[in-house]
Amino acid sequence: MFIALLGVLLLPLPVDPGILVERRLAEELPASVGDTVIARVLGGTAERAFVVAGIFERAPDPNRIARNDYEVRFHLPDLEQMLPDHDRVDRFAIELRSGADPEATARWVESLAFGTQVYESVTLADRSSTTFRVVSRFHDAIGLVTLLASGIFLLCLMVIRVDGRRPDVRTMRLIGVSRRTIVSAVVAEAVLIAAVASVLGVAMGAVLTFGVNTYFGAYYDTTLRFAILSPRIVVVAASLGVALGLIAGGLAAVRIVRVPPQRLGER
Amino acid sequence: MSRAGRLPDALERGRAASNLADPVEVVIRASGVQKVYGRSSSEEGGVAALRGVDVVVASCEWTAIVGPSGCGKSTLLNVLAGIDAPTAGTVELLGNDLGRLDERARARLRLLRVGFVFQRFHLLPVLTAAENIELPMAEAGVARRDRRQRSRELLDFVGLGGRTDHRPPQLSGGEQQRVAIARAVANQPDVVFADEPTGELDSRTSAQILELFSSLNAHGTTLLTVTHDPEIARRARRVIEMSDGRIVSDGRPAR
Ligand SMILES: Nc1ncnc2c1ncn2[C@@H]1O[C@H](COP(=O)(O)OP(=O)(O)OP(=O)(O)O)[C@@H](O)[C@H]1O
Ligand SMILES: [Mg+2]
Repeated sequence: MFIALLGVLLLPLPVDPGILVERRLAEELPASVGDTVIARVLGGTAERAFVVAGIFERAPDPNRIARNDYEVRFHLPDLEQMLPDHDRVDRFAIELRSGADPEATARWVESLAFGTQVYESVTLADRSSTTFRVVSRFHDAIGLVTLLASGIFLLCLMVIRVDGRRPDVRTMRLIGVSRRTIVSAVVAEAVLIAAVASVLGVAMGAVLTFGVNTYFGAYYDTTLRFAILSPRIVVVAASLGVALGLIAGGLAAVRIVRVPPQRLGER
Repeated sequence: MSRAGRLPDALERGRAASNLADPVEVVIRASGVQKVYGRSSSEEGGVAALRGVDVVVASCEWTAIVGPSGCGKSTLLNVLAGIDAPTAGTVELLGNDLGRLDERARARLRLLRVGFVFQRFHLLPVLTAAENIELPMAEAGVARRDRRQRSRELLDFVGLGGRTDHRPPQLSGGEQQRVAIARAVANQPDVVFADEPTGELDSRTSAQILELFSSLNAHGTTLLTVTHDPEIARRARRVIEMSDGRIVSDGRPAR
């Protein structure tokens, strides 16, 4: 069992037990496997030498991305020894083997010391992501406004396109082409435009997602993904786009076929 | 050069493909037709374009409507063709009382039994010559292969066999008008309405267009042509002269 403690000071020097050092810290020091480092707990006085037994990659966590801290992992007895109050800690994490019963474990741990509360990681994750849920709601709102605006844009585009073809619509109506045919043609065109735009939008989204993840991944030196283009997002965006195309095309078409053909020549 | 003369078999006025009603001796019967633009039917404020027109056009006739500018020729043509509704009076086209048909039925009638040739050709610029001709056939539900074949035949008929895939902007005015004529007869109409079909063309090109019209008429298509072109008026079997919204003379041209 390992325990993680943040904010330790480390200096290179020779002596014993092993610790694990986060890759970023190892690069910063620099230290590699086999090197000896000295660690001291913040607020404590005891210093101890450790041998770097391994280097690990920290699990990406959006909650900690902006805090520029490092992580090292001690064997529990070593850490206990260095703590000012030895066996007293504010919190610690227990990783269970797969198949273990979290409920039973929680009850057991809580029974060990009065006042101990055990939470499942899901619950904690849920609690710590309220900020992200607010941000996500903002994103939804921005997306909705964008769709609305682009829908209006598409409508204007279709009206202008169709208006530019008044003479052609007039000719078709005069020679007996039905309003239905004309509406279908206009709607088909609008849907095609919307579909092509959706594909371009998804492609642009993919490129932007890649760019954002690459840039911020390098900036924070993390494998955390900052932007995600999920199949659900693609499907929702494309179907909304096509629906908007249908509406815009339909409105533009109905607008033009309501004019009697002989009046379509007039500007 | 136009090689007007032989009409493709599919276009012979044999009634084979006419899906509506029986052959009619009277193609157009209009009585008491008035048309006031603007102010609905009131005398003051509106422009009275037609002031009571009676006319009967028989099958296979070639009629030319002549008269000074603004006398109501185009208006009469539009009303007779079911494009525009008269303010008063009745129009019967191919046995159908136009006043009793809704826009859908009138459009269907125009599509299947009426052809149109306009002064400014009115081809769709994005379509090729063949596609322009195929458009009314497609709307009428003619199968793709038949459309192809018929549009080729029609382009041959109007002397543009080699221009199948050219678009209107690549064609001269006369060529565009020939494509327009091919389009007008694509669904083998009983009657073709033409509003100044040579109005934008020089005399030599006009002569080619005239040949096509002669050929169509010779094969049994009723023609109603509004024109300022004395040559058309000379060729037509019947000339209706209009003035100020009325018919002032009607008869065979003096040859
Ligand atoms: N849409 C309209 N609204 C109002 N007045 C119209 C309209 N169309 C035609 N008119 C008027 O009706 C009258 C007849 O017009 P029409 O177009 O039938 O004449 P025309 O004989 O075809 O003339 P032209 O030889 O110049 O083509 C004219 O006085 C014209 O100004
Ligand atoms: Mg006119």
